[in-house]
Amino acid sequence: MSTPTSIPMQGSHFSRILTISTHTFTQLVRMKVFYFLAIFAVIAIASNFFELPQHEGPEAVGANVLRSIKSWSLGAMTLFSVVLSIVATALLLPKDVEDRTLYTILAKPVPRFDYLAGKLLGVLLLVFVSLALMDGLMTAVLHIRTGMVVAEQTEMAQAMGWPQDAIASLRADTLAHGPDASLQGAVFAVFLRASIMASLALLISTFSTSTLFTTIVSFLIYFIGHFQADARDVWLQAGQAGEGVFARLASLLLALVLPDFQLFNVIDAVIQGEALPLLALGKLTLVGVYYALFFTFASWFIFADKEF
Amino acid sequence: MKFAWKIALLVVALLAFGAARLRFEAKLGGELRDAGLFPPPLEIGTREKIGQTSSAVALGGLRTLVATFLNLRAFTFFTEQRWDDVEGTFETIVDLAPRTRYYWETGSWHMAYNAASYYLNDSKLPPLRRREAWRSSILKGRSFLERGARNNPDDWSIHANLGFLLSDTNKFPAFRDPNETFAAAADAYRKSVETGRALGYVRRAWFYALARVEGREAEALEIARGLYADGTHNHTPTLLMLLLVLEAHENPSMDVAQRAIGLFGTPEKAYEALSSHWRRTRERFPVFGVAAGLESLEKTLAIPAEQSVFNEPPPPPMGPDEWFSK
Repeated sequence: MSTPTSIPMQGSHFSRILTISTHTFTQLVRMKVFYFLAIFAVIAIASNFFELPQHEGPEAVGANVLRSIKSWSLGAMTLFSVVLSIVATALLLPKDVEDRTLYTILAKPVPRFDYLAGKLLGVLLLVFVSLALMDGLMTAVLHIRTGMVVAEQTEMAQAMGWPQDAIASLRADTLAHGPDASLQGAVFAVFLRASIMASLALLISTFSTSTLFTTIVSFLIYFIGHFQADARDVWLQAGQAGEGVFARLASLLLALVLPDFQLFNVIDAVIQGEALPLLALGKLTLVGVYYALFFTFASWFIFADKEF
Repeated sequence: MKFAWKIALLVVALLAFGAARLRFEAKLGGELRDAGLFPPPLEIGTREKIGQTSSAVALGGLRTLVATFLNLRAFTFFTEQRWDDVEGTFETIVDLAPRTRYYWETGSWHMAYNAASYYLNDSKLPPLRRREAWRSSILKGRSFLERGARNNPDDWSIHANLGFLLSDTNKFPAFRDPNETFAAAADAYRKSVETGRALGYVRRAWFYALARVEGREAEALEIARGLYADGTHNHTPTLLMLLLVLEAHENPSMDVAQRAIGLFGTPEKAYEALSSHWRRTRERFPVFGVAAGLESLEKTLAIPAEQSVFNEPPPPPMGPDEWFSK
């Protein structure tokens, strides 16, 4: 009587995850997702032309157009990254099942966790590369335009006889709206939010029966996640506004189950010229990693002994 | 393990995971709000005004993008002179992006300057209604900037713009009490200076406003002396003149003519400066000792009576009574 022999696994978890993620990345790139960069380029350049007439002296020249570039660009990045992370992740498992790739992979000595983590990393790599390209374009446009605005303001201020210290102060004010570390931090916050969405979509897709279901539910959670903080506040300040027991429990349930996406709205403050401290970004990263890890392990928990 | 059991375990884990992060997220949210990195929650009224789609976009973390679109819409309303729509749109815009200086300043500019000028010149309305609409627009602009200043206490420019509006010769007649208005202007400029980022002229503007507040002359004089000592870049004709006037207020027996010669260099320049100040009636600057100084200098310079500034025809009165007389 022969005893079943287990096939030894080759390579480390890391190398397997890397191989799957590289393959996923290539697979997604072949879907021509990078075409949207052309649309982004149009948006970034078009945002330059929304310079409305100004009402004051040199300090107001071009102030709006720099914010307009950041607002349009970061807005487009948020939309693209969230859509990309949800749709790409929602596609992964059903497509692998449809192509029968999943059976081939799972028939090999590849732990299911490695498969899921590799798939997720592939999507995240795609989102990261996309954001990096968009960030590069936005930074270049913003850099050029900031230089133009500073030159225009300086010329006008000099013509009006402003003292040197006033011109220097004006220059510093304008440069705060140009490309800086906070802006890069904001792009990273966009990436973190997209990462949470990708890992959440992965979890949903492990028990979902269709891509459409995963996509719709993920988008719903994305929007409702922006109210999570309100629900949490209702629970934490319970009783102050005379809420009923049911309302309090419902708010607690929402607060516990949904991710808090409002935290990542620091992007708005950066667009408005605020500096994003490294510590705040670090804490946001912690939140993002916490969610991504939990959702990935939860996905594996469901997927581990799923029959196909 | 049965699938139902797995789901049940997952739900328990999800709740435990949620409970573990709840306090941390609440604390982080508070920290971000305190650091000015977190916009206040979107008002229900604002959600209704911007509509379902924009509301969803704004709630999806793109508030500034929606504000950018609305700013373009407000500009269209401005070109069509639909002032109520301009006001309503800017109210929504600042709810979406309360930390953006540009929106507060542009919104108040449309109300206090553009809409007010429109009513000043729009002959389709009867004078009384034009006057009321003009005044109402200026008051709205003021109120809008005051809200902006409260929302952005560390923004030098919004405070300074409020000061400009309150001390604008063409605008302050819209406010009932000139003394209260100049005091409010001085207060706005002071707050701007106290941010530490205001440009040099704001400090001078603070002084110009304070000098016009009855009963605070000593305070104004102290600032004037500080500005004067600060460097020649502050030695503008208005500052020198007000310094002289306030010194004359502090010491009524002072020889104003001699002090004016000391400040302006020669008797001719002193006479020119005092004459100019005497003519600036619309700005309501104090004139302590100016008449005495002019009389003394006229004697020194042997200025004939027909060339005396006292015999010049008074400047035409220019205020709402004249603007809206026809």
